[in-house]
Amino acid sequence: MEYKDIIDQCVACEECDGFAIKPTLSEGQIAKCNQCGATLFDRKVDPINRTLAISLAGLIVLFPAIFLPVIGVDTLGVFNEVSLISSIVMMIEEGSYLVAVCVFVFAIAVPVVRLFSAFYLSLCLKVNYIKPSLLVFFRSYHQLDSWAMLHIFLLGIIVSMYKLVEMTNMTVGLGMYALVFLLLCSTLISITLDQDLIWGSLESVVDQKNS
Amino acid sequence: MVDECQKCSRCNHRFYLRKYRSIEYTFAWTIAAMVMFIPANIYPMMVFYQLGNANESTILEGIAAFIESGTYPLAIIIFVASFIVPLGKILVLFILMAKTQSNDRRRPILQTKLYRLIDSLGAWSMLDVFVVVVLAGVVNLGFITSIEAGLGITYFTLMVICTMLATVSFDPRLLWDSVLNEKKDAKNSVEQALLLDSNGKENKEQFNNG
Repeated sequence: MEYKDIIDQCVACEECDGFAIKPTLSEGQIAKCNQCGATLFDRKVDPINRTLAISLAGLIVLFPAIFLPVIGVDTLGVFNEVSLISSIVMMIEEGSYLVAVCVFVFAIAVPVVRLFSAFYLSLCLKVNYIKPSLLVFFRSYHQLDSWAMLHIFLLGIIVSMYKLVEMTNMTVGLGMYALVFLLLCSTLISITLDQDLIWGSLESVVDQKNS
Repeated sequence: MVDECQKCSRCNHRFYLRKYRSIEYTFAWTIAAMVMFIPANIYPMMVFYQLGNANESTILEGIAAFIESGTYPLAIIIFVASFIVPLGKILVLFILMAKTQSNDRRRPILQTKLYRLIDSLGAWSMLDVFVVVVLAGVVNLGFITSIEAGLGITYFTLMVICTMLATVSFDPRLLWDSVLNEKKDAKNSVEQALLLDSNGKENKEQFNNG
């Protein structure tokens, strides 16, 4: 047996560096580290088709979620509506450039990149168009995982809705429903995307390129 | 060997045996977060103009206003997310850094679970920032009422980013290194005790065959 065949069967835990033999899992099972209990990897149910469908749905509602107004306020005859983009523009006008950039990155840019990466990856796997350049997309998906804050933005809107309801008349716009749907798609993608499967299929192409 | 740069065979990512200078970077980011926490609480987060009157409020004053108006759940959510979580993350990171240096071999699982906790709680402190951003965008009704974001928001965002970078740069495998070294030391000492036994050769053969 070659050295490479042996190490293909082994896996190291990311959190405690514990060594384990890679088990063959059936769909829906999770492998956890012996020493520290962290998740090593898990096989998802029907990853490619489901990720393709959900990420396509997310891309369709992306533009309405960003540009349509989310909440509107009406007091003493003066009316004002805000969408995701207009709140960022408002921050720029007021001079808080850092906050505007941060909100843009965490609430718009990172979820868009993740969504598009998931869509492109599942599409390429579906039509079997596997190239080493896919690695860039997948690594960006993997590393941006903890920096997507769309769910916190939605909770922030809900908290501010509480505060606005007592002051003024408040209306909910179409952008709100699109935003909720976008968040739903974004969360479902992290459930249906099988990372180990993608690494495995990309690895064979990288080996061919390196050898 | 820890400082030797290697290349992953799957994805061509350059990596080190442990995260590059993990303790140094984590310590630096945590100190930066502590420094940012002070102006974030002193400067006002939100300026509330009502018919010409300006009413500034910092994080704690905003929470006090929520308590006075009776919405206790909101006050608790904002207090936990904007005050307890950042302070807790900084404290836990200091504890974890101390544990990697102290050769403490008890309860590494608890320490790893602590790390996982602050890793997952990382971004929730941004809740207050998003609330102010949405309010400042919506309540822009000219003279009657309008809300502007204050200087405290910038420092608070910087603090959250510093804590998140500190968590990312900490390597939890360092917590397990002293545990594994102890196991290896114990195994070596048992081996040596077996070999140095009075029935020296017999035990050595048993050990080599078994």
